Amino acid sequence: MIAFLLALFSTCLLQAAIVPRLAIGGIQPDLFLILLFGLSLSAGPELAAAAGFLIGLYQDSLSGAPLGLNAFTLSLIGFLVSRLSRQVKTTDFLGRFALLCLAGLLSGLITLLLLRFFHAPRPLASALLWTALPGALYTAMLGTGLLAILKPQTTRGLIR
Amino acid sequence: MTRLLLRYRRVLVLPTALLLAFVLMTLQARSGSTVADFTRLILLTSISPFLRLTTKSFDITATLWNEYVDLRRASRDNQLLKEEVRQLRAEVSELHETTLEHSRLSQLFQMSNRVGTEAVVARVIGKDATNWFRTILIDRGADRGIQRHMAVVTAEGLVGRVVDVMARTARVQLITDSESAVGVLIQRSRVVGIAAGSLGGTTQIKYLPLMADVAVGDQIITSGMGGIFPKGIPVGRVVRSGRPTSGAMFQSTEAQPHANFSRLEEVMVLKRPPSSDLSWADREPLP
Repeated sequence: MIAFLLALFSTCLLQAAIVPRLAIGGIQPDLFLILLFGLSLSAGPELAAAAGFLIGLYQDSLSGAPLGLNAFTLSLIGFLVSRLSRQVKTTDFLGRFALLCLAGLLSGLITLLLLRFFHAPRPLASALLWTALPGALYTAMLGTGLLAILKPQTTRGLIR
Repeated sequence: MTRLLLRYRRVLVLPTALLLAFVLMTLQARSGSTVADFTRLILLTSISPFLRLTTKSFDITATLWNEYVDLRRASRDNQLLKEEVRQLRAEVSELHETTLEHSRLSQLFQMSNRVGTEAVVARVIGKDATNWFRTILIDRGADRGIQRHMAVVTAEGLVGRVVDVMARTARVQLITDSESAVGVLIQRSRVVGIAAGSLGGTTQIKYLPLMADVAVGDQIITSGMGGIFPKGIPVGRVVRSGRPTSGAMFQSTEAQPHANFSRLEEVMVLKRPPSSDLSWADREPLP
């Protein structure tokens, strides 16, 4: 638990202070999603959902999003990734990249839908194509690399 | 109820999280929610000090890095500038050398015009290898019409005469050589004598009568007698003059040549004696 909180704090700091400087064409990777993804590969779906909720809350607090937007999204993503990771092979580079990319796209889609429902709506297709997809690809590339460096064992140990 | 919740807790986690998030969003969507604001405040308060610290650290690191990069750039620029300064100094030195050489050659040509004779400028390429003679080697020889006994001068005054001529070089006997003898006269009193070198490298003025009017500082010029040296070329000035107390017939006089033999670089060989009407006797020696 302490390791998870430390990782969450570090992610908050990195996402707020460092990652904006890595933005390419205004698109920056989502470290919160990478953290949740790494955690979901080793944790159970319920725990991943709870962790996603907390991670999302912090992400919301650091952004201009309404509180609960990313909490909702990441809870769902955490749950689904954890479930999927038991069905598909996630140990190889490509499988992990694809799943992380899918998670990023799904996150974007859910966020857009929630924004359409609660907040100022955005054009769905163009937002998905020009914001969600590049963001998902960037996040997937960075996340796959980071997870390969940190090893899955590291993420598995985060919640114990 | 509690038992039911505990039993289905795993199943309830996701719906609860989604519901909570949904409620939070709904509360904010309707109007300003104190619950949502309070939650945001707590979350931000928990993270903001660390965030500030991280941003500060990152800024400091970025500043240090930029300064390091600037320092490296400055160091590289410094090396380049040093190299440029070295090259420019070498060029300046070369130009200065050229200017000095030009000045010396110009003075030599001025002298050539004053003497009114054809002259050849030559570089000094060697000096005598022993302590017994005072000679120099110049880079002009028979191929340029140089012959034995031609007078050799600088802008300051007489240097000596050509004693050996090779195809492309010639050896010049300086007036300080112990075997050298030049007919001279004291410019002020017109007393005639012979300037002879010595082993010590000084120039003695011989055969000056005891009663001759000679004083320290008097200018000495060539007399033109002997047919080798044109008349009127500055030789030096008297630095010591004395009359021996017993038995001697002549004064003991020592002169300091105008030419600096230790720093000779270019000389001029006069190819024939000057015309008889041109006299240097009444002119001041060149500086």
